[in-house]
Amino acid sequence: MGEERKGRRNRRTFCGRRAAAPAACLLFLAALAGCGGNGSDETGTGGGPAQEKAAGAGKEASVVVVMPPASEPDAGFDPAYGWGAGEHVHEPLIQSTLTVTKEDLTIGYDLATQMEVSEDGMEWTVTIRDDAYFSDGEPLTAADVAFTYNMLRETSAVSDFTMLKEARAEDEQTVVFEMERPFSIWPYTMAVTGIVPEHAYGPDYGEHPIGSGRYLLCQWDRGQQIILEANPDYYGEAPRMKRVTILFMEEDAAFAAVRAGQADVAYTASGYADQAPAGYGLLACETVDNRGFNLPAVLRTEGENGRPIGNDFTADVRVRRAISLALDRERMIAYVLNGYGSPASSVCDGLPWYREGTEAVFDPQEADRLLTEAGWEPGADGIRVKDGVRAQLEFLYPAGDSDRQALAAETANQLREMGIETSIRGTGWDTAYEEAQAQPLLWGWGSQTPMELYNLYHTRPDTGLALYSPYASETVDRYMDEALASSDLEESYELWQLAQWDGTAGVSAQGDCPWVWLVNVEHLYWVRDGLQVAGQKIHPHGHGWSLISNVDQWAWER
Amino acid sequence: MREKTLALLLLSLGLLLGAAFLGALWEEEAAVVDFTRKNLPPCREFLFGTDWLGRDMLKRTAAGLSLSIRLGLLTAFAGAVIALALGMAAALLGAWADRLVAGLTDLIMGIPHMLLLILISYAAGKGAAGVAAGIALTHWPPLARLLRAEAAQIRTSPYVKISEKLGKSPVWIAREHLLPQLLPQFLTGLVMMFPHAILHEASVTFLGFGLPAETPAIGVILSESMSYLMTGKWWLAVLPGIALVVAVLLFEALGQCLLRLTDPKGAHA
Repeated sequence: MGEERKGRRNRRTFCGRRAAAPAACLLFLAALAGCGGNGSDETGTGGGPAQEKAAGAGKEASVVVVMPPASEPDAGFDPAYGWGAGEHVHEPLIQSTLTVTKEDLTIGYDLATQMEVSEDGMEWTVTIRDDAYFSDGEPLTAADVAFTYNMLRETSAVSDFTMLKEARAEDEQTVVFEMERPFSIWPYTMAVTGIVPEHAYGPDYGEHPIGSGRYLLCQWDRGQQIILEANPDYYGEAPRMKRVTILFMEEDAAFAAVRAGQADVAYTASGYADQAPAGYGLLACETVDNRGFNLPAVLRTEGENGRPIGNDFTADVRVRRAISLALDRERMIAYVLNGYGSPASSVCDGLPWYREGTEAVFDPQEADRLLTEAGWEPGADGIRVKDGVRAQLEFLYPAGDSDRQALAAETANQLREMGIETSIRGTGWDTAYEEAQAQPLLWGWGSQTPMELYNLYHTRPDTGLALYSPYASETVDRYMDEALASSDLEESYELWQLAQWDGTAGVSAQGDCPWVWLVNVEHLYWVRDGLQVAGQKIHPHGHGWSLISNVDQWAWER
Repeated sequence: MREKTLALLLLSLGLLLGAAFLGALWEEEAAVVDFTRKNLPPCREFLFGTDWLGRDMLKRTAAGLSLSIRLGLLTAFAGAVIALALGMAAALLGAWADRLVAGLTDLIMGIPHMLLLILISYAAGKGAAGVAAGIALTHWPPLARLLRAEAAQIRTSPYVKISEKLGKSPVWIAREHLLPQLLPQFLTGLVMMFPHAILHEASVTFLGFGLPAETPAIGVILSESMSYLMTGKWWLAVLPGIALVVAVLLFEALGQCLLRLTDPKGAHA
């Protein structure tokens, strides 16, 4: 259908990548296709051309948003297969959640009206509201909540639910979670877990989701667009945006769409930020979408399958601290991100569980002193040498990610000034995880839950080392275990902070420094003049859905 | 006429060797990242401009061409040797060998070139080795077909028949009678295979199945430039693209000259 449409209606020629042509005809689809479904032969799939847009009347309540192709949920809108959860966490929109994260990333209520945890942290009791209905008219009860969580514990391919023993509906409005182990940050898990209906859940749920959230899925053309419509029966404040059309395009096609005035909001990258398409403004959103690299903190050994684990150079804590001190993050931001970023000190900058006072500093003298103290003295050609071994590091970056390639190159340049022989190499995710066990890799993290700290720094029972980069600290493990066991969420924030730095130990740059954080990348969007994008939470990793987490509160200026 | 051809031949050979040499010399400098000079349009200091990492595009292009030429030399030679071996085998080893070679040639020619190239490159682990294997194993059929026909014709000539009657082995006949006569065709075919090899190396790399992203290769340069065209950085694609076309045309000219100089039938044309 797309091709035919292109021939007939789209006279514009778009240059760009393969995706550009189909994406361009899509724009026409987006502008024309409505959800009313008056069966026009134009679109063929049930949507009819909506004249609203042309007439200008519908503009008040609809918005077209462009996201990167990677944001499209492959398995549909099923929370068990990554919708809202997994690597790129965001609010599920179509489904309701028990809790929500507020603008300061503390916990608020959505379906829940009350929440209690037992003294030992082994039982959570949540009362839910009685006025929530699924879009098929059935009421949402505690049984649906229990079903959702039990189902996710069994089947979730992306999220960890092993801490949950069983979810049980006490009555219509009360659900009890029995835990395997205390898990104080359970409300953060609840904030991204969409509740599915027990009576209408099946293998095709992902394509035909039924939820109780702010929006209904009205149309999904795989690889092209998603159209959401406001849920008329939503229990909360009625969404101000009645229709949200989401298109998936590559960076250059997204920019072309903005230049042609065919999208209201489109993601973009810092390389485009100096352009100024008429009628649009640049929105830079603060994020914890950080970039940093790991430094293996153990001596090099052979792993199980003969692959190396650890790195002799970075096993010395003084070397790791020196590397962090040697990096001028402001220069990096100016060079690589054209200024659209902030220096990163941790994986959770600006979140309630971030330890104030652990800001990464740039101090080349101290870096030099530490390296010299560790025995690495500059040799004849300026490269540091210790016992005849040259100071060498190869930085890996995911091939095809130009920002990370540039960050790796700039890191390598800055460390070379410090007397370390550096190089960079692009790699694929099929081998990157294993390679990162022995050498630094440019990663991107950042999530709206403290669990991220646990995932990066806590040791695994099987290896005794952290998962993504070898590191082990009993002190840090203990703080995080205590934080999870805490019965009070507010109190647990403090323990998460102690894990970063307690005055003598921790994972921050002045502590063990097993990861060096470089920058928080600001998420950039072109926004059409007149569109009010409501206040944004600090965005997590993933340049997509987080922007429209509150699309229901957006509005057009009159 | 002969002098003119010879001069043209030497000129193109000189230019190509020069590019290969310069590129190899600049290989390290081509990788230098310097953000203080990023995204510069072509100017006196940087004739081809710089990219988003501040790399000198002239040096990168030269390094890319040099890599292409060296890779092309290897693969074209390997491909031509395969073609020669198959062509002579078809002529000398009897009817079954002839049928086998003809069938194999048709089979390889029947599969879309790019597809087979990607498959082999991917199976051989991508990277330089993958690309080399891919090009060497896909470019021989046209030349093999030509050499086979040529060899079959020589084989029917009286002196070959006499050699056979005298009990000479097929290897002896191949060495003494076939090889000297096939040499001009072989050399020309070898040089003519170059442009294809270079273009296909660039294409398969452009599509992401070839050389790794940090190598200065024309395919990598061109595919990277795609993301920057939209913001008007035309020099990233246009100048390396022209350089590639020029290199291919020079090889073409080189091949034509060589053909004119070595082919006895064309000597008086």
